[in-house]
Amino acid sequence: MKNIEVPALARVEGEGALYIRLKDGSIAEVELNIYEPPRFFEGFLQDRYFQEVPDITARICGICPVAYQMSSVQALESALGVQISAQTRALRRLLYCAEYIESHALHIYLLQGPDLLGHESALTLAEVAPDVVKNALRLKKVGNDLLKAIGGRSVHPVNTCVGGFYRWPDLKNIQDQIPGLEWALQASLDTVRFASGLKYPDFEMDYEFVALTRPDEYAIYDGDILSSTGNRITTNEFENSYIETHVRHSNALHSHTSANETYFVGPLARLNLNYEMLRPVARKAVEESGLQLPLKNPFKNLLARAIELVEVCDAAIELAKSYSPEGPSFAPITVKEGQGAGASEAPRGLLYHRYIVDEQGMIRFAKITPPTAQNFAQMEADLWKYAPSVINLPHEEATLACEHLVRSYDPCISCATHFLKLNIDRD
Amino acid sequence: MRLTIISIGQTLRNDDGAGLAAVHYWVNAFPGTSHNPSITIEEAELPGINLLNLLEGCDASILVDAVQSNSPPGTIHQLTEPDLLGFPKGTQTAHGWGVAETLQLGRKLGYQLPEFIRIIGIEGENFLPGDSLSLSIQSHLDEAAQVIEDSATIILKQWSA
Repeated sequence: MKNIEVPALARVEGEGALYIRLKDGSIAEVELNIYEPPRFFEGFLQDRYFQEVPDITARICGICPVAYQMSSVQALESALGVQISAQTRALRRLLYCAEYIESHALHIYLLQGPDLLGHESALTLAEVAPDVVKNALRLKKVGNDLLKAIGGRSVHPVNTCVGGFYRWPDLKNIQDQIPGLEWALQASLDTVRFASGLKYPDFEMDYEFVALTRPDEYAIYDGDILSSTGNRITTNEFENSYIETHVRHSNALHSHTSANETYFVGPLARLNLNYEMLRPVARKAVEESGLQLPLKNPFKNLLARAIELVEVCDAAIELAKSYSPEGPSFAPITVKEGQGAGASEAPRGLLYHRYIVDEQGMIRFAKITPPTAQNFAQMEADLWKYAPSVINLPHEEATLACEHLVRSYDPCISCATHFLKLNIDRD
Repeated sequence: MRLTIISIGQTLRNDDGAGLAAVHYWVNAFPGTSHNPSITIEEAELPGINLLNLLEGCDASILVDAVQSNSPPGTIHQLTEPDLLGFPKGTQTAHGWGVAETLQLGRKLGYQLPEFIRIIGIEGENFLPGDSLSLSIQSHLDEAAQVIEDSATIILKQWSA
């Protein structure tokens, strides 16, 4: 049988192609080829004024614009020597909670959830379990309403700037979100129960998990970078320890550790590395669910997301109740040349930015390493190990099984129903 | 009564920003209508499922977006909900749902969506990363704006009758 290859289509972020070659009944080759949009933005940002960066990078992703804004402002504040206030940091954390709520609700119930429930999509799930889907959308709306209250609008919020926020959100507007957040906390506890009752494919790997970490909170907004090997570095050291390289078969760069190993970022990494820092209500949810950490099954990213939903809902209530803006909403900035790096935990995992700014405040260099790109090599490694267990199923089932595995990572292609073209070449 | 006009698309994907550009053009070209207190204008960019929240409770809606079919670039399509399934969007968003699927889900779940939804689709040709509209789109923005104006005016007249 001759090889079959379907190159990745340039339908922006929407498609991937998987090529599997078998030889004598064993997997001989696995290639996952996915288009990666942030490469364009790195070039596009050059010659832009630094204050344009948060709004431009927010457009890399429609679901996680806050993550791009947060990593970018941290990197630029580092480059320009800007110190933000404690109020700003707290409000940024609240903004991030909003994004986590809407992103995780979407992925749990509308993206990966249908896979685990045997549904083609949330559309078919809605036919048999409309209340489940309605609650998911209500949860998502809580996140979106909070995003809008802080950011000015729910998609690509516009209030974030280097130094803080363009204006303090109205106090009443924030306080009005609290009842919805309190409902969301209960809904997130139900989500943990829902997630605990799902049947997950039996697949585990020994991963090197990488995530931000802090000694005082479950790290989402900022922190040092911790690996499950014990290696702990600052954001400025990221590029020495985690290296991107071009691979022949992929439009995306692949990431490896400096020891040339794959690694895993995302909810599973965060939960495994930072379980001790969960808020009491989230830790209680873990205990009551009977979860045994560390989790090593990528399909259980969904479980980790459910736990994180509890964490961020509870954190958001506290942050919203303590919000009391005073003084300027952004720190003064003296424009000067400089270089800085920043990292935050996008819902999908560690998101790293680095910028070089010239004396006029213009961007001279931009580097953006998104979580999905960091996970590409690990996804391929997973497929290599997982494919033998599904390769002999009927072609459509084998394709779906591989698609489900990739979708459990919640990559930037997961919303397309049939994004994966599976080509199996059997020698 | 409330008419919501929603522009959808990504300004950094070249022609995918056609919907946003068309609504901007309309706002500037027809200030009498665009400032009508019965009209709400939302620049949604990539609303995905959030489209349901934007539509819920309004009495009519006009969505303006880029499309990619076999028509010449710059063609202005006027579509209803059932028509949408035959008009794939120029770009599929990373995480968001397309307009057709979102409306389908909303109807299935009993969301209070407007009975009247008109989709104005502007045929694009270049959906690769970039921040400029093709000449074929630029030269048809006035036509797209006129279609928005005509659609909005008809609805407002029906309400005032």
